[in-house]
Amino acid sequence: MRLDLRSIWVWLSFAMLALLGVFLVYPVANIFLASLGGPGRGEGWAIVFGDPRYLRAIANTLLLGTAVTLAAMGVGVPLAYLTARYDYPGKAIVSILPLVTLVTPEVIVAQTWLMMLGNNGLIRRWLLEHGVVLPSFYGWFGLTTSMTFIYYTYAYIGTLAAIRGFDVQLEEAARSLGSSPVRARLRVLVPVVLPAILASALLIFTLVVGNFALSMILGGRVELLSVKTYQAAVSETTSNPVLQSTLASVSISIVMIVLFAQRWIVSRGRFEIVQGRVARPSRLRGVMALGFAAAASLVVVVSLLPLAAVVAGAFTVSRGPVMRWGQWTTANIDRVLSRSPEPLYNTMTYAGAATAIAIVLSALIGYLIVRRRNAVTPLIDYITALPLALSGTALGIGLIHAFNTGWITLTGTAAIIVLAYVIRRLPFGLRNASSTLYNIPRSLEEASISLGVPPGRTFLKVILPLMAPALAAAAVLTWTTTVAELSTSIIVYSGGRETIPIQIFKLIEGGLMAQASAYGLVLVAVILAPIVVATRIFRIDLFASRA
Amino acid sequence: MRIAIDRLAVAYDDRRVIDGLSLTIDPGTIFTLLGPSGCGKTTLLRAIAGFVPVAAGRILFGETDVARLPAHRRNIGMVFQDYALFPDKTVFENVAYGLRARRTDDAAVRRRVGEALDRVGLGAFADRLPAALSGGQRQRVALVRALVIQPDVLLMDEPLSNLDSKLRHQVRETISELQREAGITTVFVTHDQDEALAMSDRIGVMNAGRLEQVGAPAEIYRTPHTAYVADFIGAANILSADLAAPAAAGATVRLAIGGRHVGAVCPQPLPAGPVRIVVRPEDIAMAPADGATDEMLSARVVRRHYLGAKTGYAVTLTDGTRITIDVSGPDHDRFATGDSVAVRIDPSRALAIAP
Repeated sequence: MRLDLRSIWVWLSFAMLALLGVFLVYPVANIFLASLGGPGRGEGWAIVFGDPRYLRAIANTLLLGTAVTLAAMGVGVPLAYLTARYDYPGKAIVSILPLVTLVTPEVIVAQTWLMMLGNNGLIRRWLLEHGVVLPSFYGWFGLTTSMTFIYYTYAYIGTLAAIRGFDVQLEEAARSLGSSPVRARLRVLVPVVLPAILASALLIFTLVVGNFALSMILGGRVELLSVKTYQAAVSETTSNPVLQSTLASVSISIVMIVLFAQRWIVSRGRFEIVQGRVARPSRLRGVMALGFAAAASLVVVVSLLPLAAVVAGAFTVSRGPVMRWGQWTTANIDRVLSRSPEPLYNTMTYAGAATAIAIVLSALIGYLIVRRRNAVTPLIDYITALPLALSGTALGIGLIHAFNTGWITLTGTAAIIVLAYVIRRLPFGLRNASSTLYNIPRSLEEASISLGVPPGRTFLKVILPLMAPALAAAAVLTWTTTVAELSTSIIVYSGGRETIPIQIFKLIEGGLMAQASAYGLVLVAVILAPIVVATRIFRIDLFASRA
Repeated sequence: MRIAIDRLAVAYDDRRVIDGLSLTIDPGTIFTLLGPSGCGKTTLLRAIAGFVPVAAGRILFGETDVARLPAHRRNIGMVFQDYALFPDKTVFENVAYGLRARRTDDAAVRRRVGEALDRVGLGAFADRLPAALSGGQRQRVALVRALVIQPDVLLMDEPLSNLDSKLRHQVRETISELQREAGITTVFVTHDQDEALAMSDRIGVMNAGRLEQVGAPAEIYRTPHTAYVADFIGAANILSADLAAPAAAGATVRLAIGGRHVGAVCPQPLPAGPVRIVVRPEDIAMAPADGATDEMLSARVVRRHYLGAKTGYAVTLTDGTRITIDVSGPDHDRFATGDSVAVRIDPSRALAIAP
């Protein structure tokens, strides 16, 4: 491809490349380079592979990833299949599940499980009174249970989209050729939707590997890679940058391998379904229907539980760590809003800045990648996918080390938190921006240019207004996820710059559940407000470009 | 304004898809680029518009070489296959878009857009969004949007291909009328031969990035220079024959075909040897076998399509060559499948061309 140096787009591409190079490639490269540095070369790798605790952490992480992936698929795939192919009582409520997981921060989920099944948990105590002793929730039991009920939504969404995109005429064709209905489904439907299902399984695996909040809070004595990495990063005494970088490198490598496998599966499994006819859900009756409805509502209840628990907890009287369930107060909320509202201000400021920056970058980079391809843009495309391979913890370590000293010193500033937010959300914002650009016909742009408006002004006058709904959706999604961000910000933040998730995390560690719940309620409100405004007032379809 | 294209070359990734193409289009005429998809006609149009970079050569609008001018400074009007109306802007704002880019004052914008929309009968639709219009209405909006800026040239990229056949005829009329009123030099791209024949002052038939033949519609239809052009424009029978002696341009020659001799015209000089005969289905007469004369070839009817005003027959000659014949006039459906017949190729209508 040619590089026309007279084109402003080429210069803009170079500018973007430089920006991404400094703020994204450099920190990531720095992790790998630092892992090889130190007094003795390869010292970090020697420590990690020489110490059984780290090896155990890696093994545990892979084991947990496998277990949660299997369990989440076991919940999500049948639920998606039932929802796509059958009508059963209470089906409507299942459709809100993606939204529920979107608005429920992991740290609140962790807190809820603790309040319900932790050592002093509500359900545990109630069962104890009736003579049932539950095993400790800390460790494998808690980790798999809590993660399964978060990550099954990815299996659900991915499978549902695949089954809905399947042309039911293929199944009918198989039956017309003599296959029994069950056989037709197995032989025709399964191969077509399998790549999508496998892709969501691998996605879940990477999310488990990178998971921080649940691993930290519910992990107990189970050693996990993300926990070890975080501890290495924040511990004052054994602050060893080489070790931190090595652990981060291990996590990045695992995720990268899985993501490459995912990409390979997706690219191989891209069957062309020509104009499909979507299957009509058939109605279920009787015992079957009740069974399905019961199973589906159990999933819904568990998914909604954190929201309910956080509301209840926020208004419950507490004395230190002891919750007086059934006694109500507004003192917790008062305290959060009037006496220590700084985390709220911080969260809104950082997330607001990050959302604005991420959206502008997404629009510009998306336009360059989709519409103004040149020799540089494929490189930009690859670099912007890099954050998908970074766990929050790994990114935090990369940022701290890259911007600790030198030309650009960001450690200790608010900017490093904003930067972390922007990097983590960029791939998703970009996905929204470019998928909408692919849907805007090129001829619109040419029509504007042919009428005498130069390309730059055409972008502003024609393309940007048409991208606006998708960018607004991307902005809402960026906002909702950045205000809940914990794993990177907890590494890069400095005193006085706590965000709400950081504050909740600290309160949970201190056992102050009522206050944590109050912050949790505020956080959910901060998350929900723009979603309500966007979907109810502006009628924006948040998930339009996700399927 | 005259458009003159001089040894133009266009390359995609160093592969030249158009190489050394020259063409002149007279002021105020409609010139049609005709050809199958992939022949380079749209690339040529987009090069004239400025949307694909020119590797070499000149594109003159009047005396000005625009080949290296960015598209927005070429003062063109362009009409797109998918209409390309701005979906978030009203019909009025769509048409006003180019005028506003030219900093026309508000009163003049209102007057000119109003007049333009009235001219195509869409004055009442000014406040609608494009989504509320039918396909034909959208294409009319796209047309006046391109014309209201009084461009030097009008470029149209298959503007009728998304319309059904009845609407296509209406919009075709509108385009012709407006083009003649404005007296604007127009380049029209299509793959539809009927459209090309009906609308154009001149047609350029394109093949693999080259202009295979340029001429008035009747010229292209009556005297195709190559088998490609003959085959692309209208139905044509292309038969193999032998020429005994070299022939000059315009000569009438006798050719051996299937053991008989038939007459044909040579539009261009031909050497002796194998040639091809191009003859339209309507230029072949058919008679019952018993009325055969020396000039006629024996054949057998293998298929028959009754089309109302005429009947199309497929016949095979004694050597197995299959030709199609259109018979019109009284009793045009009188032959049946399996009938032995005699066919006569009109020597003044048959063309002998190089193989």
